Amino acid sequence: MTDNLILAVPSKGRLMEQTAAALAKAGLALRKTGSERGYRGEIEGLEGVEVAFVSSSEIAHYLKSGQAHLGITGEDLIREHIVDADERVELLAPLGFGHADVVVAVPRCWIDIRSMASLQAMAPAFRRAHERRLRVATKYTNLTRKFFQSKGVSDYRIVESLGATEGTPASGAADLIVDITTTGATLEANGLKVLDDGVILRSEANLVASRRVDWSPAARAARHHILAQLRS
Amino acid sequence: MVAETAREFEALEAQAQRLMGVFTKAGYEAVAPAIIQPADVFLDVVGESLRARTYVFTDPGGGELCLRPDLTVPTCRLHLERHPDADVKARYCYNGPAFRFQPAGVSAAHPREFRQAGIELFGETRREQAEAEVVGLTLEAVRAAGLERWGLRIGDLGLFQALLDAIDMPDRWRGRLRHQLWRPDAFREELFRLIRDPAAALLDLPADLVATLDPADPASSEAEVGRYLEAHGLELIGARSVSEITQGLLAAAADAAAEPLSPSAAELIETYVNVKAPARAAGARLADLMSEREIDIESALDIYHERLQHLVDAGIDPALIEFSAEFGRNLEYYTGFVFEIVVPELGTGSPVAGGGRYDGLLKAVGAREAVPAVGSAIHTERLLSVVNGGGE
Repeated sequence: MTDNLILAVPSKGRLMEQTAAALAKAGLALRKTGSERGYRGEIEGLEGVEVAFVSSSEIAHYLKSGQAHLGITGEDLIREHIVDADERVELLAPLGFGHADVVVAVPRCWIDIRSMASLQAMAPAFRRAHERRLRVATKYTNLTRKFFQSKGVSDYRIVESLGATEGTPASGAADLIVDITTTGATLEANGLKVLDDGVILRSEANLVASRRVDWSPAARAARHHILAQLRS
Repeated sequence: MVAETAREFEALEAQAQRLMGVFTKAGYEAVAPAIIQPADVFLDVVGESLRARTYVFTDPGGGELCLRPDLTVPTCRLHLERHPDADVKARYCYNGPAFRFQPAGVSAAHPREFRQAGIELFGETRREQAEAEVVGLTLEAVRAAGLERWGLRIGDLGLFQALLDAIDMPDRWRGRLRHQLWRPDAFREELFRLIRDPAAALLDLPADLVATLDPADPASSEAEVGRYLEAHGLELIGARSVSEITQGLLAAAADAAAEPLSPSAAELIETYVNVKAPARAAGARLADLMSEREIDIESALDIYHERLQHLVDAGIDPALIEFSAEFGRNLEYYTGFVFEIVVPELGTGSPVAGGGRYDGLLKAVGAREAVPAVGSAIHTERLLSVVNGGGE
């Protein structure tokens, strides 16, 4: 292990482009090293920093386990994938892109349901009528459980959904969902509405530091530099 | 604390033999339910909160399974396999590993893998006697294993239910308060909601529609709701029918029309929930509290005293029994009496044994009717460490 700081950034998709743009704007241009398809890189003109291109959800695991010092990823993924997030990582700075709200959404035809409390009040009747609990489709199982518990909602079952979650109420695979939304248009197109107190997290991309990694003086200095550049 | 040397394992085994000896001598049949269980049953019965504490996994065939988080549900399943109608009285005992994820980290008192020894008594309709039998036998077992200093904490969800029944309020509100008892913050919030303006229940619901609904005429109400959905381009998706949505609106309307819960009733409920005292004194205090407010929960109090008498008859010193009104265990399947055996070395957060009544569980697992059921489980590693003088 060298004294280098390892910075994990998204390896593909829109989040990668926005990350690269934000870093470049802060005078921290990313450059891949080795072959063009490689997963390693550096920041132009900055010694002692290695860049790892990793899928966004993997970045949370890198930070959790201390494989990277810093990472750029959505707060939603940090909170979902690291159960004890505040112990293991520190959110250093929101970066102003990758905005997405994690929300509880139910069919718009449920005109009797506006809040988490009314959802729970309805749950026993649902269970009697259908002989099962309400099904909640989501890929955010940890966030869902924590939020539902804090709201006192317990009569439900999670159905793990890894794609097209917003279509599950219409298809009958689930009754309601927990998913991310930016404008709400996709939810509306699928006949869904967000509950009044159903916003679990207003997420955006963050610069995140691991607390589970060895911070050499050189790595610490590089961290201060990156943070200062991003804030300037 | 999980036995990782042969000597530790043998010490646990020797203790388990003593515990099981007490159980089998009392007529409890030793059983060994499967360690790997279908996750579905647990999640349906206990709910999603369980998933946070349970090792749930998918096997290569795609089946969702779990390492059993306790032995009560597996024993219920075993009983139903033998007696699908659950119409047979039965006494079972067991000893074996159970597994729980510890979100706050693994420690000696909270290991991820531990061995439980316990008993289940199904189908006994003499309820208070059955409860005292289970408590008495559990205490006999831990004392046979060498436990000398202990206390018994008891709770009684029957008293809470009786109190709610005795206070004038819509039945739905009782259900909500019962549901939230386990979560102190949500419970207080719910109480607060009920003493405020109930019309708030209608806030943000389509008032013009609600005004046209008539609880006495479900058919026309449903037709109104159907017309409303269509007029507003709200496609009916998902499992809930127009009838269910109508019932939801009617329930909200009924809540709005109800008198708010009186502040004095809410205060009585709060006072009740905070009662914590030696068992006999607690009974007297509850009687005083209720007669001051002219609230009649006498038959539930009679049951409380009758059970207490059975416990004393079983040889338990009443001075060692403490009643706590809010104590209901964190597993939601308990439906009535609950208890824990606590020791000074570990405190109330880490009881060496616990159990209670869970009349709904066999039905949830597949029986046609609710079946009276009482059980208990001993945390055997904790017990051994205390008996060995280690505490933690």
